[in-house]
Amino acid sequence: MRNELLHVFRNTPLGRETLFQSIYFCKKTDTSLRVYIPVSKQFLMYFENEVVTVDLDDSYLRDPETAKIHAEEIIRMEGLIPRFIEPKSYTASTLPDLPVDFKYMTCPRSISDLSTKISLGYIGPKVRGIIKNSTFPVLIPASVFKPWKNITVFFGGSNNAGKAVRFGIEISRKSGFPLLLFTQSEGKPKSYYEELLDQKGLLKPLKKLSFEWLFFEKGDFRKNLYEVPHDSLVIVGAYGHGPIRDILFGSKMELIQSELPNNMLIVGPYCAVHQF
Amino acid sequence: MDERLKLVFIGAVAGVGGGTAAVFLNKALEIGREILLPYRGSWYSFIFPAIGAFLSTVFLIYIVKDVGGHGVPEVIYSVTKRGGLIRLRSSFSRIISCALTISSGGSAGPESPVVISGASVASNIACHFRLKDRQRIILVGGGAAAAIAAIFNAPVAGMAFSLEAIIGEWTSTNLIVIAVSAAVGAEVCRIFQGNQIPFKGGTFTISNADLLACIGLSFFTCLSAILLMKLLRFIRSLSNRIVSSPCIRAALGGLIVGVIGIFIPEVLGEGYHFVREIIHGKSKYGLLLAGLITLGKTLATCLTIGTGGIGGLFAPCLVIGSFLGLFYQKLLLFIAPSFSWAGESYFALLGMAGVLSSVLQAPMTGIFLITEITGGYQVLISVVLVSVISVCLSRIFEPFSVYHQELIARGEFLRPRTDRYILSELNILELIDQNCQKIRSDMRLREFVEIVKKTKSDFFAVIDPKDGHYIGLVHLDDIRSYLFDPNLYDTILVEELIDPNIPTVSLDHELLEVMEIFDYSHNSVLPVVHDGKFFGLISKSKILDHYRKELMVEEEI
Repeated sequence: MRNELLHVFRNTPLGRETLFQSIYFCKKTDTSLRVYIPVSKQFLMYFENEVVTVDLDDSYLRDPETAKIHAEEIIRMEGLIPRFIEPKSYTASTLPDLPVDFKYMTCPRSISDLSTKISLGYIGPKVRGIIKNSTFPVLIPASVFKPWKNITVFFGGSNNAGKAVRFGIEISRKSGFPLLLFTQSEGKPKSYYEELLDQKGLLKPLKKLSFEWLFFEKGDFRKNLYEVPHDSLVIVGAYGHGPIRDILFGSKMELIQSELPNNMLIVGPYCAVHQF
Repeated sequence: MDERLKLVFIGAVAGVGGGTAAVFLNKALEIGREILLPYRGSWYSFIFPAIGAFLSTVFLIYIVKDVGGHGVPEVIYSVTKRGGLIRLRSSFSRIISCALTISSGGSAGPESPVVISGASVASNIACHFRLKDRQRIILVGGGAAAAIAAIFNAPVAGMAFSLEAIIGEWTSTNLIVIAVSAAVGAEVCRIFQGNQIPFKGGTFTISNADLLACIGLSFFTCLSAILLMKLLRFIRSLSNRIVSSPCIRAALGGLIVGVIGIFIPEVLGEGYHFVREIIHGKSKYGLLLAGLITLGKTLATCLTIGTGGIGGLFAPCLVIGSFLGLFYQKLLLFIAPSFSWAGESYFALLGMAGVLSSVLQAPMTGIFLITEITGGYQVLISVVLVSVISVCLSRIFEPFSVYHQELIARGEFLRPRTDRYILSELNILELIDQNCQKIRSDMRLREFVEIVKKTKSDFFAVIDPKDGHYIGLVHLDDIRSYLFDPNLYDTILVEELIDPNIPTVSLDHELLEVMEIFDYSHNSVLPVVHDGKFFGLISKSKILDHYRKELMVEEEI
């Protein structure tokens, strides 16, 4: 896996904000930035067990003559070297394939639908497709560039939540920002969650970071979300329980993304994590 | 459950998918034809192919957001480069587009679109069962075989097509699963449409002279196939240059086909009706008319498909082949009228086999298809003769099939079990040896010698101390003389020891490109540098090691 973040550049003011967010993320996590400037309305991402067709919103192809110039300007202004991706393989002559061996990818809440749809509570189907199949977590940036100063990881005990904590620890180590663990207890004591963290080999690294645990035994989950700092990078696992359980009991990720306007790093079920 | 048995079972499920796709397309074509039938004789009917091509392109590109073309190259690409992954939308997009194109009078066949539909259904079934890449590829082949088997009621031809044109290799595992899929696909079609032999022929009296005449026919079928392929390429490139909008381009192609259809109605639609007439000996065409229709159908097909209409080449090849066979038989009668030649249906069948085999570069497909769709093996020897000679001759001028040409033009075509194929399966990241020692460029030789004493490595990556970027590689063998001369220890810096002839490779390089760099640089080890940073070394021996492992994986299911 390359230590790179894939950013699909949209040559619009919204796209500029998103690029700023990607650059900030790369700087804080010591990750290289790779930018793809779309030349056609679609591209494909071949994951291990699924091919995701990304149909881009028209605004991604706006003013192609200035797209690269704008992207280069912004990246240089932020002190990074602009590096672009040129697709090497094509499924059809107008259908490029993008590589999928990145460490992160930035996606706005919607990549295929009109940008007017971008709002709290909405994540487009293509972005969901990428999250569900990718081996990298997806950074969903806030609509306006906002530097984050701390990291909040949601931990409910699942395997995916464990992966989210792992990414949280890594990013906290690299960025030097404090880590907060957010747990809404489902009738279980704190020791139960501590044991889970210990089983996953995460308790020791967390303690080394001297993390803060926002542990809620009572209260409504939505209400408790107010405790998440406004300038926090939220890391959350998604699609870890399967569709049936999500339909019956609801998905925590959906609740979080419909309430929090923060930058979010969503860790899908096939995300590759490194061991400590 | 045993992996092979599981695969056979899922192959049967994929066969149901492929067969159902074919049934859907047949039904859609029937409905389309019935809707337009009352208007066929009207003065404005020449515009139907244009409207059909326009609507089919609008549907494909703007509504389902798929890409144009008949889809078989996409299936081959997925098999050779993407572990058989095909998008779900391809399972239905071309069925509807193809029905619009053909039922409106476009000169194309339903087979290629149904191939991608069947393959896509199979691929998505494989994904559902979370099969391995190799298994998924076999299943995609099964889906394609089932589609062809169902649309022609010809399971063996479906199997041969899949193995020859899609998978590209005949192995026992492939054969079993694909045969099951093809049989199930044909059976599904029989349940819904009855067990009909599409072009059931009569009995033939074949003399030795007829067999000899087959050789002459092979030349004609070869020429016809070459003309079809070259004209298709020419019209595709010309129309792409002249008209940028895909919908307008397809409509213009359809309009010209409609105009040709005013004078030669045989060129419109898939044209199986006319093939049946010839096979049953009921054709009314003379020598010149048969020749004219052959050329007209070739032009109409190239215009329909080359301008972006959605449809395949199977049906046009069969129609062109049958008229060509008829033309040839009439020519023989013209040259030697007193000789008792076999009937026109005999030469029509051979013409079909010859043209199809040459265009697809798949002789077995042509042979089995013709024997199955005519319901008899009486003409087998003649069919084999024409197919094989025609394919061999056409390969001289057109070495690749019409399906492979597009991939070859893009440099995406890989044959199974070739170097390119196996290397494409390996990832440069998994081959990097990260244990290479990094040293600073401003280090003196004395310090470097101390490092050499403690390590077993032969290569040392020299890094710029300011920004950590890679500068070059030092190979111990090249600097041995310096190491044994203590007088130089304080006068030489490490950066002066760098071998300037070692090129670098990046993470963006494909293994095939890396091998080419190895070959021209005559190095056994290369540094992997990406964005200026040193990642490690990649060695020929490690590639060979992984190459062997990959070969073993290829043998497994």
